[in-house]
Amino acid sequence: MRKCKVFVGNSHPKLGQLVCEKLGIDPAPVTLKKFANGETSVQIGVSVRDEDVYIIQSGSPETNDHIMELLILISACRGGSAAKITAVIPQFPYSKQSKMKKHRGAITARMLANLLIMAGADHVVSMDLHASQMQGFFSKPVDNLYAGPTLAHWIRQNIENYSEAVVVSKNPGGTKRVTALADQLKVNFAMIHTDRRRTRDGFMGKKVRGKQPAAKINTTENGEVEQENVIVSTDIQTARIVKGHVVEDTSAPHEEPQVQHTSDIANDNSDDEDEPEFNASEKLITLVGNVQNRPAIIVDDMIDKHTSFIAAAEHLRMNCGAKKCYVVATHGIFANDCLERLNECEYIDGIIVTNTYPISETKAQNCKKLTVIDVSPIFAECIRRDHFGESISVLFDSLAVIT
Amino acid sequence: MSLQKPPNSIKIIAGNSHPQFAEQIAGYLNLQIADIHVIDFANQESAVLVKESIRDEDVYIIQTGCGGPEKLNDHLMELLFMIHACKAASARRITAVVPNFPYARQDRKDKSRVAISAKLVANLLVTAGCHHVITMDLHASQIQGFFNIPVDNLYAEPEVLKYVKLKLGTSDLIMVSPDAGGAKRVASLADKLDTPFALIHKERAKANEVSRMVLVGDVKGKVCVLVDDMADTCGTLCKASDLLLERGARSVIAIVTHGIFSGQALARINQGSLAKIVCTNSMPLSNVAEASGKLEIIDISPTLAEAIRRLHNGESVSYLFNNPV
Repeated sequence: MRKCKVFVGNSHPKLGQLVCEKLGIDPAPVTLKKFANGETSVQIGVSVRDEDVYIIQSGSPETNDHIMELLILISACRGGSAAKITAVIPQFPYSKQSKMKKHRGAITARMLANLLIMAGADHVVSMDLHASQMQGFFSKPVDNLYAGPTLAHWIRQNIENYSEAVVVSKNPGGTKRVTALADQLKVNFAMIHTDRRRTRDGFMGKKVRGKQPAAKINTTENGEVEQENVIVSTDIQTARIVKGHVVEDTSAPHEEPQVQHTSDIANDNSDDEDEPEFNASEKLITLVGNVQNRPAIIVDDMIDKHTSFIAAAEHLRMNCGAKKCYVVATHGIFANDCLERLNECEYIDGIIVTNTYPISETKAQNCKKLTVIDVSPIFAECIRRDHFGESISVLFDSLAVIT
Repeated sequence: MSLQKPPNSIKIIAGNSHPQFAEQIAGYLNLQIADIHVIDFANQESAVLVKESIRDEDVYIIQTGCGGPEKLNDHLMELLFMIHACKAASARRITAVVPNFPYARQDRKDKSRVAISAKLVANLLVTAGCHHVITMDLHASQIQGFFNIPVDNLYAEPEVLKYVKLKLGTSDLIMVSPDAGGAKRVASLADKLDTPFALIHKERAKANEVSRMVLVGDVKGKVCVLVDDMADTCGTLCKASDLLLERGARSVIAIVTHGIFSGQALARINQGSLAKIVCTNSMPLSNVAEASGKLEIIDISPTLAEAIRRLHNGESVSYLFNNPV
């Protein structure tokens, strides 16, 4: 590729390397270092005058350092008279803060977008933005790539009788993402809702439990109804969660070994950032949909904390009769001991993420259930097409899987 | 002659989109609507003339996104002209009160090569000279981030909760989201009312057209409440209602914030299986309401009036997010 330079930041060198390999070029030489006082310094080792520059920098555990590095890199290329600068940000940092929380919140993702444009970026490429509306935060073009087709491809290849499977959203906010995948795989979907406000007694009375035979009838019903172009599923199943784990509602107040988690349960309904943070240790978990005797696939855009995934998996397997339970996400952020905990959870059969975010080697090796799917071909193809001025829209096609 | 600052003064300006609503808001605030004159030129251009002094005043311009195919863009342009006129007339602060934000559904690049029109409208408002925006139930709350001025996104939810508690009671109710994107809104309502909820997923063939529908959840013997942020052609709501009744629901009621009701929407509702449709008066509905016996209206103007009052006096607006006025 003539007149093209690809710079790889320090956040995720492995992904950058893979993208460059796919493009058949070497990463452009650059010295990235830090001064003793913590300031970042960038030295570009090659002329970028009138070149098409791509800078690959993802989110990472040292987010702020790497954001600064990216901004300085962009600015350095701008100063070096690059013709066009494209920031390739597989996992867009701060993307969860894309709207105002109910009271006086900052829209940090917008601020980051402004910073990138101010530094001199002409184009931004990202993958599975937490909210697709974030494209509107930029005054320059943004290409939001999808990992969905690749994940769907993996599911088709690796999950036994996937056509029986049910994709599950672990909170109402993520339903849209889940339905997109369900449509691609042509399978049913369900949704989990965790709630702290409901009174236990009020809800338990109406609760449907031990309805296994009924659920089976439902399954046969599905078959008939599908032909009329309408599918119906299901009952609603509810259980209690105490300290992040599902408990039988007959049991007395539960004794839990992992008391230290009480604090993060309170704020971990993940997508619902705008919910007030209650400090309740007891919540109700409700499944809307039917997973009886089917494999369940919990889908989200990122995994950063483990509690809600574990609670969802326990509920699906223990109370709702799911045969298997997989956790699938685009960005595997795995904060703190999240990965270890998910790996230890006996109700989770597999954890599937893409390599948009760096996962340390030792962590990944110790986690037998983890599968990391390589998405570098998608980014490489996007860069190639963008450089040659070809259309990128084929990459959005649900059928196109680039490997 | 004293140079002391004059008392904090406020002016309400009403656009032509929904004068009655502006009248109601002004009524709650005990204010007169400022006199403006809109001139329509023969070539379809229009001009705005503010007929009283607004120098150093706190100006609130009330214009909702409505008017259908003929008038919607005219109203948007009128809003921009009014903002600009106020700016040129040295208003101290200009706040656009846009209960139904136009173009809010075009908020992302969901297909290749489409415009993010909501962003464009946001830029236009800022360019015209707006300092602050008040709106209600934005289609996606991320639209707040399209502006580089403060945006207060109010919620109709407290008023809807009040309505449901007073008029419907909560026993036997189930909240239903007519599409997957609205699941969060519905879950939040269901939590506050302590009712179960369900959702319908539609696989869209074309925009504004509904094809296959999937119901997730059990509605047998229940009174279903369909909740959405807007009702446009009502095709979705009618199909959803049919599906719910087919699945054994006792009756189906729809509650929406913005009743746009384009085209044959109301005829469709009258003939359809929906027992009732409830919407706020964020859109002009006077003629429409008479036409449909199934339509019920929640008056939302007190919420907006209170927001204006609080904003003008520099008080916190967040109280309104959880409490009806």
